[in-house]
Amino acid sequence: MNGIRVGNRVIGADAPVTVGWENIPKVEGGPVKQFIFTWFQPTMLFALIAFWYYAPNSIAKASTAIGIGIGFKVLLLGLEWVNPRHESWRLTWKELVTDLFYVGLGYTVLRMVDGYIGDGVMVEAVQNAFNWDKFTWFMGLPLLVQAFLISFIFDFGQYWMHRGMHNWYPLWLTHAPHHYITQLNINKGAVGNPVELFLIGLGVGGFFDFLPRAALLAGTLGLAVGVYQHINVRFNTPRWWRFVFNTTEHHSLHHSQDYEASRSNYSGTWIIIDRIFGTCVDGEAELLGMEGGRRMSVGETMTYPFTEAWKTIKERFGRPAVAVPAE
Amino acid sequence: MMELLRSHNPPLSFRRVNLRFIDWIWHIRGSLALAPGQSSEDAFDRLAPLFRQTGTSQRRTSNALTFTKKNQAPQDKMSVFDGGVLQIEKGAAGPVLRYHLTSRALLFCFLAPLLFLGFAQLTIAMGKLQKPAAEAASMSGKGSDASKKKDVEVPMNPIDKALGAPEPEKPGKEGADKDKGKSKGPSPTPAYVFAAIFATLYVVGRVLEDRLVRALFRKSLLGS
Repeated sequence: MNGIRVGNRVIGADAPVTVGWENIPKVEGGPVKQFIFTWFQPTMLFALIAFWYYAPNSIAKASTAIGIGIGFKVLLLGLEWVNPRHESWRLTWKELVTDLFYVGLGYTVLRMVDGYIGDGVMVEAVQNAFNWDKFTWFMGLPLLVQAFLISFIFDFGQYWMHRGMHNWYPLWLTHAPHHYITQLNINKGAVGNPVELFLIGLGVGGFFDFLPRAALLAGTLGLAVGVYQHINVRFNTPRWWRFVFNTTEHHSLHHSQDYEASRSNYSGTWIIIDRIFGTCVDGEAELLGMEGGRRMSVGETMTYPFTEAWKTIKERFGRPAVAVPAE
Repeated sequence: MMELLRSHNPPLSFRRVNLRFIDWIWHIRGSLALAPGQSSEDAFDRLAPLFRQTGTSQRRTSNALTFTKKNQAPQDKMSVFDGGVLQIEKGAAGPVLRYHLTSRALLFCFLAPLLFLGFAQLTIAMGKLQKPAAEAASMSGKGSDASKKKDVEVPMNPIDKALGAPEPEKPGKEGADKDKGKSKGPSPTPAYVFAAIFATLYVVGRVLEDRLVRALFRKSLLGS
C-alpha cells in the first residue's frame, strides 16, 4: 500500500483509509432521509443550546442533563439502526452488552473513585495549598462565552492528555485497550481500561468559578458534538462543523488500523485544536483496531496496562535468560 | 478431535451431576433437518465459510465439526460463541444437523446483574463509612460558610439579561441543596438500574442469539 502524503506524513500505508472530504460518500436514499441526515446534527446542537440557555432554574439541573444524555443516546442508537455508516459496524447483542458493561462501570465504581481522587478533589487541594480563591470574574462573562471557555479549556487539556497517551509508553498502556475496538457505536467511547477513563476525565476547568448554567451549556456541547466521535451513522455534516468540531470521520481515522492515521485527530469536541497543532487529518476509515483487528476481551482490557508494564519491566531489567550448555 | 471436545466439555459424569440444570445459561442446543438427500459432506461444505474467520480453529470428520474461537472479531457472524460441536445424525425423517454451542458472553451477561448488585452494596457501605466524617465536618464549618455565602453577589452579564435568560439562583439556596445532597452520600441507584438492564439483556440475548444462529445455519445450508 502506498498511502497518501498529508503534510509531512504518509497516511494509509499500513491499512486502507480515505483522505479528503471530496472522497467521502454522502447519505444515500430519498429526499426525506437526506434532509434528516443533513440537518440532524446542527438542529440538535442549537436546540440543546437554546434549551439550556432558557430553561428555568428548577429544570436546569445536572439530573436533567443526565436524563437528556441518556435519551439522546437511545435516539442515536435508533439512527444507527436506520442509517448505518458501515454494515461491518452493525451493533450486535454481544457488542451492546460489552459496551454497556463499561458504561455501567463509569456510572458506578469509577464515579465513586472519582469522588475521592478525581479532579474536583485535586483542584480543591491545590487551591487550599496556595490559598487561591477561584477566578470569580469568570462568572461575569456572558453565559455562552463561559460555556465555550469551559468546553474549550477542558478539551485543550484532553487533547494534550490524549496526545500524551499516544506518545508516552506508560500512558499508552492505559489507552491501548480502547484502540482494540473494531467498530464505532454510540457507547464505544466508554470502552477501555478504567485507569484511562479516570485520566481522560481530569480537567483544568475546575479552577474557574462558573455559573451552573454555563457548565450545563458546556456539557451539552460535549454531548451534541463529542457524541459523534463513536457512532455508526452516516451524516452529511456541514462544512463549518467539520472545520471547527470533531466528527465520526475524524475519529474513525484516529481508530484506523493504519499507524500514522491513528496519530491524528486527538481532540474530543474541538477538532480546531488539532488544526492549530498540525495533527488534524480530514478523512475516514472503516477498518479499525490493532493487531489486524483483534478484539480484546473484557478481562484483558482490565489487566492489559499492568500485565504489559510487567512484561516490559521484566524485559528491560530482568536477568537475561542464559542458555545453560548441556554437560 | 477428542482432545478438542474434552477441552470444551467437562467429563460427562461431572456434567450430568452438576451442570445439567444450569448449563442452558450459556449453552445453546438445537437441531435442523437437512434437505432430503443432502450428504453430511455437502452440508459441512455449505457451513464452512462461517468457520473461516480470524481466531477460529476447526476440526472436521465425516459427520462432525468441532470449533473454537479466540478473540473473535465483532464482524464474525458467530462472534457470540466461543466453541461448539455440529453433528449430522440420521433422524427418522432424514439427516438432521444437531448443534451444541457455548457462549461466554451469555454467561457474563447472566452474572453481570450480580456484579452490579455488589457495586450497589459497596456504594451503600462506603456511604455509611463516610457519613460520620461528613457530619462532623459540616458541624464545624457551618457558621463560617453561611456568613461567607451571604456576601456573594451572583453576577449576570447584561447580554444574558437582554436575551432573557433566567436569573441565576442565589448561592445560599444552592448551598443548602448541596449540603442536603452531600449528606445522602453516593447513590446506589445507578448500580441497581444497570443490574436490571443486564438481567433484561440476558433474557433478550438468550432468545435472540438462539434464533439468530438457527437462522444463520438454515440460510447457509439452503444457500448456493
